[in-house]
Amino acid sequence: MSDAKELPGAQPVPAPPESRENRLRRELPPEVPGRAPEEPVGAAEEQQPELTGRQRLVQGLWPPRFTRNQLVVAVLLFGLGFGLAVQVASTSDSSSALRGARQEDLVRILDELDDRTQRLEDEKQGLEKQRQELENSSDQAEEARKQTLEKERQLGVLAGTVAAQGPGITMTIEDTKGTVQADMLLDAIQELRAAGAEAIQVNGVRVVASTYLTDSGKDVDVDGNKIEAPYRFKVIGKPQDLEPALNIPGGVVQTLEKEQATVSIERSDKIVVDALRAAKQPDYARSSSQ
Amino acid sequence: MIAVLGLIVGVVAGLLVRPEVPAVVEPYLPIAVVAALDAVFGGLRAMLDGIFDDKVFVVSFLSNVVVAALIVFLGDKLGVGAQLSTGVVVVLGIRIFSNAAAIRRHVFRA
Repeated sequence: MSDAKELPGAQPVPAPPESRENRLRRELPPEVPGRAPEEPVGAAEEQQPELTGRQRLVQGLWPPRFTRNQLVVAVLLFGLGFGLAVQVASTSDSSSALRGARQEDLVRILDELDDRTQRLEDEKQGLEKQRQELENSSDQAEEARKQTLEKERQLGVLAGTVAAQGPGITMTIEDTKGTVQADMLLDAIQELRAAGAEAIQVNGVRVVASTYLTDSGKDVDVDGNKIEAPYRFKVIGKPQDLEPALNIPGGVVQTLEKEQATVSIERSDKIVVDALRAAKQPDYARSSSQ
Repeated sequence: MIAVLGLIVGVVAGLLVRPEVPAVVEPYLPIAVVAALDAVFGGLRAMLDGIFDDKVFVVSFLSNVVVAALIVFLGDKLGVGAQLSTGVVVVLGIRIFSNAAAIRRHVFRA
């Protein structure tokens, strides 16, 4: 240190001392000139190799010195730290997975997304078509079910397995003398059927296709059920057709009155035919449709 | 000490300010940062070796950054930007590792 300080101050007049020293060196034994430069440099170098790594680092770190070296390095490191932080921040942004990507990568990603969109679009169309088909078919199935139900109800009315109501007439045959016989009632039923009667019951017995009437003394059996006068027919159909059909000259009413029975007919907007008969499963006949 | 303070202040400033990276610089910033890291490790090693020189450090720092950015730029123009930047990162990574090994030998004697 003392050497370094002296040198700049000594520069203007270096000649005399040097020459003196030179002279001295020449005169003196070689030890002296060797020592003078060696002492500071040698001491530093001897110390430094021993401390080399850590100590030098510590020396640089601890006493904070505002030397030019430190300042320049500080400025550069500031730049490095700044850039590092900015880059890390922009990379770790949630939306910036694509930010660091280069152009060709972006184009590729875009292409892949387009392809994927296309595929998904196709799939969506297919699924929608399928859905529509299923909806149509379920609509059709629903419609078919409704029709079947309706048909079952109609057939049930005809077969006498369900109760029916609607406009119609009530015919009451008073037979005080016991002259009315099964064939006369059958005629009445035939006449009513011909006039469009849809559901008929006589004194609580439903009249269906297989109904039979037989005489049984003074009374009449309908499907094996004995019924007694007065015979009360409840008939569903168009009243304007049914009543005239019974009243035609030489028809049911006249025939019965000839036998001294009294017949009264009432039209009504609501006739309830609620006598039922069990549905009979056919033993041999099977539906040929499907 | 001042140098380390500079680094810390830089990181904090970058995190706090969070500037929008201009689109022009964006592809070069990561490579430039890696190049600067290489220069810093080289400088640290030189300091431990006792041959540190601020002029050399400044020149190597700046030239590293500029050359790295230039290579990436050229690569982008040639259509091999991705591969070239990978190459640059690999080379700089190797250098950083060898410098780190030298530093380690100095600091831990191992």
